[in-house]
Amino acid sequence: HSCPMVLRIAELTSFGAGASASTHQPNSKFTQQELPACKPILTPKWVISVFLLVGVIFVPIGVASLLASNKVVEIVDRYDDACVPSNVTNKLAYIQNSTISKTCRRTLKVPKDMKQPIFVYYQLNNFYQNHRRYVKSRNDQQLRDASKANETTLCDPEKTRDGMAIVPCGLIAWSTFNDTYTFQHNTNNLSIDKTDISWKSDRDHKFGSDVFPKNFQKGPLIGGKTLNESIPLSEQEDLIVWMRTAALPTFRKLYGRIYVDLKENDTITVTLDNNYNTYSFDGKKSLVLSTSTWLGGKNDFLGLAYLTVGGLCFFLAFAFTLLYLIKPRKLGDNNYLSWNRNSAGH
Amino acid sequence: MYALDPALRVNLLGLSLICHSVVCCRVSPLQKAQVTSLVRKGARKITLSIGDGANDVSMIQAAHVGIGISGQEGMQAVMASDFAIAQFRYLTDLLLVHGRWSYLRLCKVITYFFYKNLTFTLTQFWFTFQTGFSGQRFYDDWFQSLYNVIFTALPVIMVGLFDKDVSASLSKKYPQLYQEGIRNTFFKWKVIAVWGFFAFYQSIVFYYFTAAASQHGHGSSGKILGQWDVSTMAFTCVVVTVNLRLLMSCNSITRWHYFSVAGSIAAWFLFIFIYSAIMTSFDRQENVYFVIYVLMSTFFFYLTLILVPVIALFGDFLYLSLQRWLFPYDYQVVQEMHKDDPHEYSMIRLPERSHLSPEEARSYAISMLPRENSKHTGFAFDSPGYESFFASQQGVCVPHKPWDVARRASMKQQRQQPQRTGRS
Repeated sequence: HSCPMVLRIAELTSFGAGASASTHQPNSKFTQQELPACKPILTPKWVISVFLLVGVIFVPIGVASLLASNKVVEIVDRYDDACVPSNVTNKLAYIQNSTISKTCRRTLKVPKDMKQPIFVYYQLNNFYQNHRRYVKSRNDQQLRDASKANETTLCDPEKTRDGMAIVPCGLIAWSTFNDTYTFQHNTNNLSIDKTDISWKSDRDHKFGSDVFPKNFQKGPLIGGKTLNESIPLSEQEDLIVWMRTAALPTFRKLYGRIYVDLKENDTITVTLDNNYNTYSFDGKKSLVLSTSTWLGGKNDFLGLAYLTVGGLCFFLAFAFTLLYLIKPRKLGDNNYLSWNRNSAGH
Repeated sequence: MYALDPALRVNLLGLSLICHSVVCCRVSPLQKAQVTSLVRKGARKITLSIGDGANDVSMIQAAHVGIGISGQEGMQAVMASDFAIAQFRYLTDLLLVHGRWSYLRLCKVITYFFYKNLTFTLTQFWFTFQTGFSGQRFYDDWFQSLYNVIFTALPVIMVGLFDKDVSASLSKKYPQLYQEGIRNTFFKWKVIAVWGFFAFYQSIVFYYFTAAASQHGHGSSGKILGQWDVSTMAFTCVVVTVNLRLLMSCNSITRWHYFSVAGSIAAWFLFIFIYSAIMTSFDRQENVYFVIYVLMSTFFFYLTLILVPVIALFGDFLYLSLQRWLFPYDYQVVQEMHKDDPHEYSMIRLPERSHLSPEEARSYAISMLPRENSKHTGFAFDSPGYESFFASQQGVCVPHKPWDVARRASMKQQRQQPQRTGRS
């Protein structure tokens, strides 16, 4: 006799509805692995569109960034070797001798018009602010809280002097940069604005307005700047800038701003105090004057990277089009299945 | 026991391996186990044994994979087995569909895990060259600790649960796809080397590109970024890239994938917003204080966040496109062949009649009938009385089972009562 089939059965990938029912499992799409899914396949259409899209987005960004970077005018002047008198043979002894005057005059020529504000940076080479023992040599509690002045953990070797805690302790504070610069522009004195050179969050929260330097740089070896004991740490902007340790051994730090326009071929005379010792470790010191755009200082890298990647994407879109034309493969071609290719078997 | 004598065993094995299939009949349970061990140890292949009765237990335990069928002969085989199924023919699903998917998912999860940790750790390695080899860590401690726990954990779990290269029906239609597992296609050294190479390449991109882009002043304030600003930027790029790379390697993307990827990236931003906004009273260095807010106020952050992940994924994208076009895997060809098929979950379809004989089709239809929770734990199905009642309701013919006929004949007067109202 005929037995009509049971119809209308949805395909199940588990082992029968009965099994789930008997174990009281909810039979949802999640547990049965039947969630709606997008199944992307990298067809030639997709590959070429992605490359073209990336190219179209990246090239304009690259052009904009490169233009911004090219607008920046930068003067870099290395002075650590030029500012030591030529008759000095032992540079280290020279720099450590506090009786000799270290004043040095440098002349800078402005290559292109520079609009204010002009940023004054000092640049150090081969100075490892990212060394492990240097980075950890500070105590953030002591810096922000006047009641924690005796907290000097991790500040070795600059923890205490004569039994009293050093504020601010640590190697980072001890080695603060102490060269100073004054500028003259065509015989006029330029004033440098040294306020707001540090991050505002540092000034407001990390360095206390009631914490004063104490017992600082009183030892036999002076590592850098001495601090005015009547100015609280939150206003010691050079210290704050210095204590934001740099990532790489070549770095710049903001010294101040000049709010004067400079014209091309102007002469700037810099009177600097060459105090900071970079001679014992082959470090270099440079003075940098730079303008700034929406992107920041002079950094061609972003613009070049975007342009390169954008160009490369266009090239690859073209190359892949050639590839798909030269070596065509029908999508879903049966012959590419390995059991059809190697009919000899595995 | 003759052929299994130590002297003759080797010959038996050699002969059996030449044959396509070997039938051993009238074997005792011990002999079943011995034959299985012979193949397992002698031929050094992965063995699978399937059985439904108590006499199969030793054989099930002797093989690598033991499968028990729950049903007519009780639950002993099931309790001794690694996998339990209800009917013999579910073995095809177990092997060709779920076994294959399981292999694919396992390979993907393991290689992805190593890749994401390798790329993250190598960025620190490149940093050491520029710290005077002093061992200064590039990232903050909490970033490193939570990387594997919060920022990159959930998406890979979703892949491990849901990834399918081809659907279940296609897996059964192309059983040769199972060869991928036998040939260990997805876990060869070559595959791992490719992942390792791209982890290496990406780590270089993360470190050097972020460091180069962060030189000199940022924004119109001219202020300089410090080490922790650069490292937070690099870490953001790492988290974004590693999560997007997972999406690139998925064969089927459900909405849970989108949620987990977006959720992981969002979790990172949530974490860093909170972490850099607080200062604790513990004696620790508050290096990352306010870093992200400062970073997000510069154009540098957004430009780098677009540039670095794209460059990092560039190499992978190139490789995947070339590989799929020039050296496609079998499953990729099958995907392309069936890419325009409608999705199964939205279809109501007939069972594949062409594969079933009329008897099989009938028993398939019977097994699809609504079942009640059986009070007899030894029998997951096959209670004859109600089954034949419902079968007749649906118009399906159910032949009486001989043992049931005998049972009913030997029982005292007992009326058959339908235990449930039927569903039509």
